[in-house]
Amino acid sequence: MSFQLIVPIAADKKEYSNTMPYLFNLNSDGIMLCIKSILGLNLDIFDKIYFTILKKHNDPYYLNEMFNIQFKRTNLLGKAELIILDEPTESQPETIVKSLETAHIHGAFMVKDADSYFTGNIEIGNYICTFPLDALKQVNPQNKSYVTIDDMYYITNIIEKKIISRHFCAGGYIFKDADAFIQEYKKINCKKGIYISHIIYSMLLNKINFRPISVKGYQDWGTEEDWLWLRSNKISK
Amino acid sequence: MEIEVKGHSGCSIDIVTENSELYIIKGSENKDYINRLYQQTEKQKQAEKQEYRHIRIPHIYAIKKDNHSIKVKMEYIYSKNFIAYFETSGFEKMEYFITSITTFIEEEIARSKLSTIDTTIVQKKFEDIYKKIKENKFTGKDIEIDSLMKQSKVSFNLLPTQIEIPIGSCHGDLTFSNILFNDTNYYLIDFLDSFIESPLIDMVKIRQDTCYLWSTLMYAGTYDKLRMMILAEKIDTNLNEIFSRYKWYRDYYHTFQIMNFLRIMQYAHEQPIINYLKKVISNLVKI
Repeated sequence: MSFQLIVPIAADKKEYSNTMPYLFNLNSDGIMLCIKSILGLNLDIFDKIYFTILKKHNDPYYLNEMFNIQFKRTNLLGKAELIILDEPTESQPETIVKSLETAHIHGAFMVKDADSYFTGNIEIGNYICTFPLDALKQVNPQNKSYVTIDDMYYITNIIEKKIISRHFCAGGYIFKDADAFIQEYKKINCKKGIYISHIIYSMLLNKINFRPISVKGYQDWGTEEDWLWLRSNKISK
Repeated sequence: MEIEVKGHSGCSIDIVTENSELYIIKGSENKDYINRLYQQTEKQKQAEKQEYRHIRIPHIYAIKKDNHSIKVKMEYIYSKNFIAYFETSGFEKMEYFITSITTFIEEEIARSKLSTIDTTIVQKKFEDIYKKIKENKFTGKDIEIDSLMKQSKVSFNLLPTQIEIPIGSCHGDLTFSNILFNDTNYYLIDFLDSFIESPLIDMVKIRQDTCYLWSTLMYAGTYDKLRMMILAEKIDTNLNEIFSRYKWYRDYYHTFQIMNFLRIMQYAHEQPIINYLKKVISNLVKI
């Protein structure tokens, strides 16, 4: 079964009108933050890796060229490629759907947020990568989504920015069927304010099971300030 | 401990402590409301005598009523409102909630008797509402509402002279805001006398929220609207599927839902609510 990895980096914020999004910055080891975000995973399990970016970010900063050099450095040349969207999207799920459609993905795929890092054993299925809140040294608990897990180790609930348990979503989501994801997204039919957690919650309500994957070594650079903090505290590897 | 209790217009709600126990005292000195609250309480007392598998009714301890006031002492329930409950509940609790509501309504159907009623009762009610909407200074001169009333009338005129629906038992105002959520215990409050005591009324009222999100309009706090929409749609699809087993539901739900929203319109006095009602009724009369 094919298994693809998608890293959406298509957020279009006001502050990016004349500055490069910080996720394209280089870490202290010379690796772009967005590429760093996937290096804790066993990338051999993926057939292809897609970084989805915006044309309006690519053109002024020559990101295509930057990514090619980075792919070379990280031995991802030939496996990783860019999807460049002409127009900004209104949400991360829309970016994912556009990526799936552009790359003609129909089977299993993983979405990895570009603003976090972790290690873990990823496999095909419906999974949410989780990390315990109490294991973090510094945390902004409000910018995360949280899950509840039952005694049989199934996810029963997922919600944005409401601390309903100690398990938060670490920024990795695995879906075994791209078509089911697209169908759920289209069914919800809302472009603004939609998160992956809404799509998963809708799937849960429709009896599609998700299980947690407990990840390790979690690092969060959800904002530029987070990244600067990590860098100054030399936690980032 | 934070306790939030809100009353509807026309009555006061107080929490009192007696012998370390909490109680609710619901009262009114409003002459128009005294009898209504008394009837509600009597209906709640009757409902309390029934055994429900998933639904509970707060216990009424005492009713004090005279010509000038009424005070009802009832059980205090530690609970969440529907928004707080739905925001934090997983799919398994939602399934339990759907089962609980459908079981409650099916128990009502079992206690009711399939009866033939003369549709002049319904048409008379419609005429009465039409008159009140015309008299309401916020709706009476609205051309759009008048047009909707005329279109609605067509639906009522299309009813056969007699219809067969179950008569006997209903809550009367089974909306999310009249349910107290305590984990997997659901307490029904604010029973209401209806012009027809039919489980069909409860099907209509619960879908007023699941299909049309009425109670969210009354909620002043912030919440995840999209999640609420996803959830309501799921509950509504399931309820509609289950209710559709009954021919009388399939035949008359639509007309009774129009009636339901018109009944709300007759008392409407806030423009956002009036606009919402116009939109909903406009969609309903198109079907």
